[in-house]
Amino acid sequence: MTDTQTSLHRAATEKPPFYRDATVVKWLVQITTLAVTLFAIAFLVREAGDSLQAKSIQTGFGFLEVDPAISLGEGIDTDPATGGRALWVGMVNTIRMAAAGIFLATILGTLIGIGRLSSNWLVAKLASGFIEYMRNIPLLVHIILFFVTIAVVFPDFGENVDPITGEVSQGPWNGVFHVSNKGFSVPRVHIDNGFYQWLIIVAIGSVLGRWVSKRRQALQDRTGQETYPVLSALGVIAVFAAVGWFIHPIFGFVGDAIFAPIRDLIDGTPQGPVQILLSVAAGVVAALWIRRFLAARRTPGGAAKLTDDDWFRVIFAGIAATIACVVILVLWPGLSSWLINSSRDFFDVLANKFGDGRGSVGDDPPFSVSMPDIEKRGNFANMGPSGLNLTQGFAAVFFGVVLYTAAFIAEIVRGGILAVPKGQTEAAEAIGLRRSTMLRRVILPQAFRVSLPPLGNQYLNLTKNTSLAIAVGYTDVVQVGQTIFNQTGRSLEVFIIWMLFYLACSLTISVVVNFFNVRLKIVER
Amino acid sequence: MSSELEHLDGGTAELIANADDREAEEAASRPDEPSLPPLEWLRANLFSSVLNTILTIVFGLAGVLAFQRLLNWAFSHEREWDAVRVNMRALFTFTYPSSQYGRIWITLGIALTLAGLSLGLSRMVGQGFSLKRISTWFMAWGGAVIAGILLVQPHAKRSANGEVLLDADFEPVRESFGTAMADRGWWWLIGVLLLVVGVTMWVGLGDLKRRTTFIGAIPFTLGVLAVLVSTLWWFHWGNYGEQGDIIEPGRTVKDSAKLPWTAMWVVLTAAYIVGRQIAVTDRAGSVRVLVNFSWLLTPFVTFWVILRDPAIDYAHVWSTDLPMAVAFIIGGGAVLFLLTKPGLGEVGRIISIGLFGVAIFNWVAAFFGIYPMLQKARISFLLLALIALAAHNFAGERKQRLRFVLAWAGVMAILHYLVTMINAPSTVDAPDEFVGGFLVTVYIAAFTMIFSFPLGILLALGRTSTLPIFRVLSTIYIETVRGVPFITILFFFSTFLNIFLPDGMEIEQLAAAGLGFALFSAAYLAENIRGGLQAVRRGQYEASDALGLTTVQRTGFIVLPQALRVSIPPLVGATISTFKETSLLAIIGIIDFLRVANSVVPGQTVFLGVRMEGLLFVCMIYWVGAYSMSKFSQRLERHLGVGEH
Repeated sequence: MTDTQTSLHRAATEKPPFYRDATVVKWLVQITTLAVTLFAIAFLVREAGDSLQAKSIQTGFGFLEVDPAISLGEGIDTDPATGGRALWVGMVNTIRMAAAGIFLATILGTLIGIGRLSSNWLVAKLASGFIEYMRNIPLLVHIILFFVTIAVVFPDFGENVDPITGEVSQGPWNGVFHVSNKGFSVPRVHIDNGFYQWLIIVAIGSVLGRWVSKRRQALQDRTGQETYPVLSALGVIAVFAAVGWFIHPIFGFVGDAIFAPIRDLIDGTPQGPVQILLSVAAGVVAALWIRRFLAARRTPGGAAKLTDDDWFRVIFAGIAATIACVVILVLWPGLSSWLINSSRDFFDVLANKFGDGRGSVGDDPPFSVSMPDIEKRGNFANMGPSGLNLTQGFAAVFFGVVLYTAAFIAEIVRGGILAVPKGQTEAAEAIGLRRSTMLRRVILPQAFRVSLPPLGNQYLNLTKNTSLAIAVGYTDVVQVGQTIFNQTGRSLEVFIIWMLFYLACSLTISVVVNFFNVRLKIVER
Repeated sequence: MSSELEHLDGGTAELIANADDREAEEAASRPDEPSLPPLEWLRANLFSSVLNTILTIVFGLAGVLAFQRLLNWAFSHEREWDAVRVNMRALFTFTYPSSQYGRIWITLGIALTLAGLSLGLSRMVGQGFSLKRISTWFMAWGGAVIAGILLVQPHAKRSANGEVLLDADFEPVRESFGTAMADRGWWWLIGVLLLVVGVTMWVGLGDLKRRTTFIGAIPFTLGVLAVLVSTLWWFHWGNYGEQGDIIEPGRTVKDSAKLPWTAMWVVLTAAYIVGRQIAVTDRAGSVRVLVNFSWLLTPFVTFWVILRDPAIDYAHVWSTDLPMAVAFIIGGGAVLFLLTKPGLGEVGRIISIGLFGVAIFNWVAAFFGIYPMLQKARISFLLLALIALAAHNFAGERKQRLRFVLAWAGVMAILHYLVTMINAPSTVDAPDEFVGGFLVTVYIAAFTMIFSFPLGILLALGRTSTLPIFRVLSTIYIETVRGVPFITILFFFSTFLNIFLPDGMEIEQLAAAGLGFALFSAAYLAENIRGGLQAVRRGQYEASDALGLTTVQRTGFIVLPQALRVSIPPLVGATISTFKETSLLAIIGIIDFLRVANSVVPGQTVFLGVRMEGLLFVCMIYWVGAYSMSKFSQRLERHLGVGEH
């Protein structure tokens, strides 16, 4: 044998020393990294605990139960009784802003995106000018500009004083719609005692509507006649909603008959069995996962040899289940009782809500409306609490995020439209579709399929961008959180709540967008 | 969680880039189309159908009304544009003392020199602007100026001492329309001049010539800048002041700014011309590398050496700093020269692992106070150990090894120089932070990009790695950071960071905020780079495995160069985002560009409550910065041919 062959043979047969064994080095490096990371985190957290103790700042989530002694500018509860309630008000404000913003930004963005591709030179130039203006200036600058502009442009609040009675009024439609430099107030529609019973009737209507729509769709597919499946389903739901408005008290029994027994059942559950149940569940999940994993590695020729990565996964699943059991049984027994308590509370709320409003229809309607009013604090008129008040801060943040996101959405819509193959337009023209029909029926549906994932990204950005509200004092979750940690010093806890809240929002949006993404995908045959 | 979010990643930039491509393609597919005569153009583009006619009329009227309102607002007697003029220095450099202002100009000069060289050396030579386009610009600007002259309402009359005269209803008394028109002589001149130049170019050149003659984008921009700079010589541009006070009443912006700005323009143009000259020689490649490397160093050198003006203790430099640097250069160089010897085998490995152990122990020992060692030495030691660990990947012939050692010597020299400078106390006579205003914005953006880039690469490699623990850790980091708003992270770093640090360690608010920026930006960069990594074909990996390259060699020499090339346009996009995000510094109380306009200027006694003017100026600067960067990124994209299939 030549030299090369010898060395090749040696390389193939001899095992390298352990410190050069790829598998050993790989796992050594990884486990060291993990250990260093965990150690660093533990060290930092301990340091934080020490320095907080040295400054005698209390830690823990106790502040959620304590009166924060703050009053909020706007929201569902401007005088929250506990810290948790205050944060909840902030969260609702953020969600309100994000939901309204996503809705409006989508519509506006689509219009501007279409406008940018318009054959009208002026419209195209204006649209692209708008886009370039919005997206090249920081959102924070936009928000502050809107905030300052609103104060200058809109009339002073309550500037019309009746010379005889001294009553103040505000235009343009006193008592219904107020526009001023303090913001807008409009009538507020809110759910009333009869709402949940009415909701049951609407739910029944929806199920029936779905069935009707399927039937009519089948009929249309069979005969080719236009049967309006979606319209008829909506009609059925509307009929149920209208009828339900008058007969909803008949479902008043649901609270006492269904939810109250469930609540009592949960209330009677002792803690021990729940703990055991949870740990068994953790074990079973891990075992099932490992079984499925091993089954996936099985080939027709028998079980495949497991690589080190596979072993890692199996062992990791085992370790995770063990850690879960230890946490449930030993480290945090409160988890089980917390679970029991909160599900009891949940069903208690349900029982109350569905038990309400068994009186006459007139006393407990599903919805009621409260009109905006004017409140006088000393000499100054201000927006009263009863209407839906959109303050100057709200308006600034709202215009800011909507217009800013609309510019990005417009670019995405333009990209989507241009991504539709030219043949589609030509085919639509060939069969004589009008331009508007073509846009609605041929181009936009295909454009939205391409632009949905980036749109979802913009929705996430919009939701996160509402946090800039802190610059103009709109009481979103970040602003409330900052006020609370300035008062109580619980900075870390507030940060954790922020993080969980925004992660939950991001996750919800991605799940919803993904759902539509999957539905819109071309089904390949 | 990750799989859900992964689905939504990116896509935006790609979608828009593809759309831009398609529009450019369509425009390029009809280059020979002659321009329409004006009336036919109007009919084709504005009045082609009933709907289009209605749209044109509605939007045209709305546009004219909005334009008029904007101008009336901007030229109203209530506007105090002096708040911007007098505070020009405060907006850009905040409290930087004017006695040392030369340092600012030197910094700007360095940046402009490099910019000129880069532009001159650039291989991205586009077609530039056609004369047709330029003449339409002239006509459009001329038309806009003349329309503005006619639309703005007559100015309010002022009494002898400058007070606005009011009538019985407390409305200002305005000039008659004729006087107003006559008063706007200068504006008439500018408008008519622009219009005449535009029309002359259009008519004089003829259709074919104006469509096929091009002027380079950079020379054109330099020309426009020259006109702007020349205005400083004949227009007074209002009063000059510092921190809201007009220092000497007769001293104008013109006096203080004309010389430095002219010098800046000359520097930029000269550097551009020199760059063009070098670009055609065969040295172009190495000069380009040198310029890019200088760009990397510029933020550090200008920030810590030029602007900060450190007081250097020369005795200490001669006794400690210089010998230590030389020792590291020679000692480290020798070790590296040895370790890059081919076929060194196990000995090299053991030496480098030993070095690494000592380097780590140095930090642990210093942390727990076992024995002290200068921070500079610890950093150098760790760097040496890390490079030593990777040294066998660079094994080669004597010449290559010498070059490797030379690179080490260069890195050490720069590192020791910078650390010495950073550790010396500042002598700038400023209240607390010597940077403020636009300087903070620029430096935070620059440092964020420099520091987040390597971290982003590491995270992207981690996330695409086959090693599960690295993958999980990187994914958790990236998704958590991307899931929360930036402002919460900024709060975390600016208010809570010191809680986490051990006793005696403190970190300045600006540095903490910068750290927050870098860590946040890294997560987004990682996603961009991951897109690039996924674009590298499988065959590239297989080929490098077949050549017997190590993982480090494969990643560093084969995969990353290709991946980074693909991700350059999204990286420019990330730079624009960072530039815009710096405005968030205003919320956590750092006096940046936005905060000067929003809080500092309205707080001055002279300009109490004057906010809109400053904010609009801030808008303008941000817009110019972000818009030019995005245009640059579009050109870069076309140059790199990304999106071509």
